[in-house]
Formats: sequence, C-alpha cells, structure tokens
Amino acid sequence: MALDGYSETLRRSVAGSILKPRNPIPLDEVTERILAALANPPVVDRRIADQSAPGRAALAILGQSRQPIWKVGHLLTMLAALGSAEGFAPIQALLDAGLLFPVREFEGSSLGGFQQWFGQEPRLSAEVFTLPGVAERAKGDPLGLPNLATPDGPPKSSLPRISDGLEWPLRLAAVGQLVADGAMRTTQTRALFKRDLQRLQTHELLAAAPADHIAILPDIGVLTLFWALGTEQLAVVDGELTLPKVARTQTNRPLTDELVVLLAAIATLEAWDPLLGYRVLENQLSAVPSSAILLLLLLATAPAGDWYQAAPLAAWLWEHHPAWQNGLTVEVQQQRGTPWVESLLLGLFYPLGIVEVVEREGRFIRLSPFGRSLFAGGAKVPEAPAFLQTLMVQPNAEIIAYRQGLTPTLIARLSRFARWKSLGPACTLELTAEQTYRGLESGLTLAGMVQTLNQHGVRPVHAAVMDLLQRWADKRERITVYSSATLVEFLSPGDLDVAISRGMIAVRITDRIGLCADGADPDYKNLRLIGNRDYEAKPTKCIAVDDDGVTLNLDPGQTDLLLEAEIGRLAEPVPSDGNSVRRFRLTPGSLRRAAQSGYKLDDLDVWFAARTGAALPAAGRMFLLGPTAPSSLATKRLVLQVPNPEIADGLMQWPTTRDCIEDRLGSTALAVDESKLAALRAILESLGVKVEFA
Amino acid sequence: MSQAIAARMAVKLHRRVCLVMTEDAVLAEELLARKKLAGEVLGRLSERALLIRPGRIEAVLDELIKMGHTPQVVGK
Repeated sequence: MALDGYSETLRRSVAGSILKPRNPIPLDEVTERILAALANPPVVDRRIADQSAPGRAALAILGQSRQPIWKVGHLLTMLAALGSAEGFAPIQALLDAGLLFPVREFEGSSLGGFQQWFGQEPRLSAEVFTLPGVAERAKGDPLGLPNLATPDGPPKSSLPRISDGLEWPLRLAAVGQLVADGAMRTTQTRALFKRDLQRLQTHELLAAAPADHIAILPDIGVLTLFWALGTEQLAVVDGELTLPKVARTQTNRPLTDELVVLLAAIATLEAWDPLLGYRVLENQLSAVPSSAILLLLLLATAPAGDWYQAAPLAAWLWEHHPAWQNGLTVEVQQQRGTPWVESLLLGLFYPLGIVEVVEREGRFIRLSPFGRSLFAGGAKVPEAPAFLQTLMVQPNAEIIAYRQGLTPTLIARLSRFARWKSLGPACTLELTAEQTYRGLESGLTLAGMVQTLNQHGVRPVHAAVMDLLQRWADKRERITVYSSATLVEFLSPGDLDVAISRGMIAVRITDRIGLCADGADPDYKNLRLIGNRDYEAKPTKCIAVDDDGVTLNLDPGQTDLLLEAEIGRLAEPVPSDGNSVRRFRLTPGSLRRAAQSGYKLDDLDVWFAARTGAALPAAGRMFLLGPTAPSSLATKRLVLQVPNPEIADGLMQWPTTRDCIEDRLGSTALAVDESKLAALRAILESLGVKVEFA
Repeated sequence: MSQAIAARMAVKLHRRVCLVMTEDAVLAEELLARKKLAGEVLGRLSERALLIRPGRIEAVLDELIKMGHTPQVVGK
C-alpha cells in the first residue's frame, strides 16, 4: 500500500487532512483509519467538496475514464484544457488530502513530501492513482464543458450505425496468440524492434481493417498490441512484451464490462496516433489519452438524441488542448485537426460500440446508448440475448464462429485452443496441433475443449476432428517434463513396490526412486526422512578420497542424483565387498573417457573441489596429463647417497664439489659424473666424509 | 510410538529436480541423439528418465518444441 511508503510525518499529515482528528492518532492506527475514512462515502464527499474546482475536475476525470491510474502529465493537460492555470497545485492538494496517491516503487526510503517525489520522477511520466470509492463519488462533478452538438442533425428517418463491440476483444485475442508465437522485443526507449513491427504490420488478421468499419486506422496491429498491454493481457518482462505468467482472470464478464476495461486502457496508449500510426515520442506525452477522454466527455454534454460533427469538436480541442496541435501534421493543422478527431471517433470508438454514426448528408456522431450509460448518466444497457449455438466445426478442423453468439468468455476460451484466422460477420478459427497443445498446457483438458465446441456448436464435433484432437492430445503424453520435481529414493526396491501399491508414489523412475503424479512432495505420514537434497543449491561434499588418490568413497547420506550421473563419467564402480559404502576408482581409462567427452583439467578440479574439498588428486592428474606430456628419459646414473640433506646442500653449493655433481635427484641423492668420482671422493675424505661403494 | 516410526519407510528426498520422462526408451534415445539436448542432460536415471541440468529446463523445452514434440510440463 502506498501509505506504507510515506514517512511518519507525511502519513500523519495526510491523516490530519482526511480525518481532521481532535486527538493525536497512534501511529499504528493511522493507515487503518485513513483507509476506513476513504471507504466512508459521506467523509469522501466532504473531502472532495473541500477541493478546488480543478482538483474536483481531476477526480471527476479519473472517475469518468474508469482508469484509476493516470500520468500526472495527462491530468495536467486535461485540467489546462478545462481552463485551470494552477499547474501541479490541484494534484498536490489531492495528494495532501489523501484522495490521490503517488505510484512509486518501494525503494526502502520513505517519502517525505510530494514535491520531493514529483521532483525525483520524470515529471510528465509520474503516475498517481485514486481508490475506486473516491473516483465513483467524484465522477458526477460537472466539468463545465460546452455543448457542441450541431443544430442540424441528419434526416429523422436515418438509422444510426452501431457496432457490436466485439471487434477489439477479438483483435486483442488474436494479438495474444501472435505474442504467444514469439514475444515482441522493445528497445530501451520502448520502441518495437523492426522485425516485430513488421510482424504486426503484415499480419494477415491484425493488419486488416475491421469488417464493420467507417474509418481505417493506421498501424492497427500496433495499436492492438499496446492496448492489450494496457489491459494487462500482455506484460513487459525483461524488455519483451509477452503473455503474463498469471493470465488476467477471464471470468464470465459481460461484454459491456470488457469494453469498459478497454476504454480505461486508452489512458496507456502512448505509442500510437490516429493518423500517423505507430509513433514513439521521447520525453513527451502522446495527446491520444487526454484528447480521447475529453472528446468522450464533450459528446456527453448534449441531451440524448442530439448529434455532433467532428469539426466543432476538433475546433474546441484546437483552442483548449495545450499540446494537441503540435502533434498534428501540417495538412491536418490546416483543417484544425478534424481528420484526427474523425479517425479517433470512428476508428477507435465506433468499433467499441461507444458512439453511433449516421452518414447521410454529412457524418453525424453521438454517444450510443452504451456510451451514454457510461458518460451521460444514461440507463444501463441490457446485455444482448445469448445465442448458445454459434459455432460450426467443419471436418477440415476449421471453426466458423457466428459473431452474434460470441461473448468475451467464449472468445477467451476459444483463443486458448483454436487459432483465429479471420474476423468478420462470421469469424473463422483453426484447430491445430500447436494450439491444442497450448490449450492443454494452459490447463484445459481435451474433454473441456470438446465440451466447449459441442456446447456452442450447431452440431456435434465431427468424428474426424475428434480423432485429430485426440491424436494431438496423445502426442503430448509422450514426453513429460518435470520442471521442479521431488524424487523419493527408497532404501530398497521392495520399499518402492510397497509405496506404489499403497498409492504413495505414482511413477517409478528406477528400481528405488519414484515420484508423485504432480511431482510434488509425498505424503510424509508413512515415510521417515533420512536425507534431503535441494538441487538448486550448491553441490555438497560427499566423497572421501583414499590415500592412493584413486579410490573414491561415497557418503550415502550426502550423495545426490547429479553425483550418480556425473561420477560414472569419471570413475569406475568398485564391486561391493559387503561394506555399505559405495566406491568408485579413478583409472587411466576412466579419465581418458572423461577427457574425450569434454572434461578439461580445470573442470575436473572444480568438480573435485565441490565434491571432495580438494582438486583432482595427483594420481588422477597423472592419468589425465600423462598422455600429453613429453616423453620421459630412462638412463643409468651413478648415485651418491649422502646421510642427510645438509651434506647434499653443501656439496651442491661449494664450487669445488659442485662441478663433480651432474644433478640432484632428491634431498639426499646426487647423480655424480663418473669421470670425476675419484676426485670427489678425495675431496670428501679430505673433509672427513667417508664414502663407501655399494 | 517407536514401533510406528520404525514401520515408516526410510526415504531420501531429492528436491527441485529437473526431469524428462519419455513414453518409451526409443524416444529417450532419440532425445539423447539430439546434440543440443544431450548437452543439457546430466544423466539417464533409467531407460525413460533423463536428468536435466538445474536451471536449464527452458532450454530443454525450447529444443523439444523445435523437434516437433509437445511435452507436457508439470510444475510450471
């Protein structure tokens, strides 16, 4: 919770603003009391009423947009368009009053003040959020927008065009499948990689115009991608746009609720423009989120039945929006932004079902009944009657989905195991091996998929299709990958047999090792733990090396499966002598095989250090390095064995004797030049050192 | 009480193990013949069970999918 990141002083200050306590509140109760106050509508109403007009307008915008998180830059832009010249002050007042909170990573240090926070963040991108209860209470506050409805509407007999609202949910489902094929990579500035941009721009389904369209949007695939990100159907992981680990809950949400989620996500559309398409702006915010909300609020000002035209709406934005003009091209500026507004209203909002349109003697736009229910206090629109049987599964594994029977729930479910091929009045999907696999991996079962197809199909699934699905599902059973299993090792094969017969173990791996069906820990009720090894942890020391340097004694309590797998590559098992300790032995042959399979001396040193606490023993080094060393020399030498190292050192050091010595062979053994033996003997005897001949 | 403890079977647990189980030994051989996969396999616990290097499960999955397999993943 954001309040946890506040300093004590700041928390008390916010509590003072919202609670206005007569007595000091104990620190441990402050957060709880603030939250309780924010859940109390009369208190919230009073605190909203305390705010200045721009502050109330900011909260109303948050409520109307159905988006609780907004960038401060966008809020300031919209307030400026509404006539506020107070800059950050209204936002600061809302933060002080506990009606807004900053979005910030918890960095360990507590927040001392909001000016400090706003100064640290990239100013325009800093985000604030409010609680749903506050936004709901504030959304009815009047914003003072003018009524720009046109006095001359279309002929009375004209029937407005209205979209079914399914276009965007369907496109988001398709973009999810495209991302499942391969994540979309972004640069540090959040720009798409060229290859991924091309994938979106040339995608057969996503790049195509909607079947029911009035305006064609540029880079509609890119828009869909970023919109999916805004609705959390995609996530950014390590700079890649990918499917989230935990998918957004696809509940039985009605279409209108799904459309509200999409509407709220417009606040996040930064890299797309209604006329220019994909456009990454550095160090400035896009005009789309703020203009889109202002346009919808302008459309809500007139009574039901009145119509609007794009030009007056564009003219209002032209006059009031502080940054919109700068983003327009010269040609569009000449028309004071009218094409931009038309593109947004007809290309984005019309397929959402928020506006309805008449194209007769001009182009007239107004909020649809659904749009009025959201922005103009209109009655809630009843859900369209459900047509259960809307799918036709063909023998070639294609599915025709009649659009009038589709719901967000069905779209989400179909998207898990069938691939969208085309979107139109009748959409087509394709059952493929890969998509069936994805469906099974997402937690669906074959029976569940078939049930969906039968439940919504106009006739039962064809036998040939059933056969295909069964075959694809069976293929998945051929390989099972346990990403993090617990293997249970028994002392004897008999114990494992008993455990399997009692149902404690489901899968036999070896004669003594098994695992439960889901790879999880077994039930400990009938088991006694004598060892526990974590394979993500560092390997443990579990081998003692004998003095011979080649015999390896395994500690049964500490050994693990990795060791079992590795040691066989380096050493040979020693036949059991009845002793419980298992032994292996390094041999020239075993180490030669290890070297041939890619082990280098350094690898072996690391392995032995981890498993024995010391590097590869000398004998092992000899086995390994011997074959590559230069050849050894065998010669006959005359050896003088002196009684102690001191005499040997003296003979090596004194120039008179050093010339007689060929080599020092050891601490007390010297190789003597045979021709100088007599001279050396004479010198030694002169020193009193006796020499005997063996 | 002590009798009950004695009746319980002694076991050693190997936790967080990455493992590939195949339908049959031939399929395991086929996987081991793939050079990229073989490099990730630490050992063969049985005819059908391959022990994978810790932390390399994603690489193994990618390679299996590249080979055209559709492995069932347990414990994702």
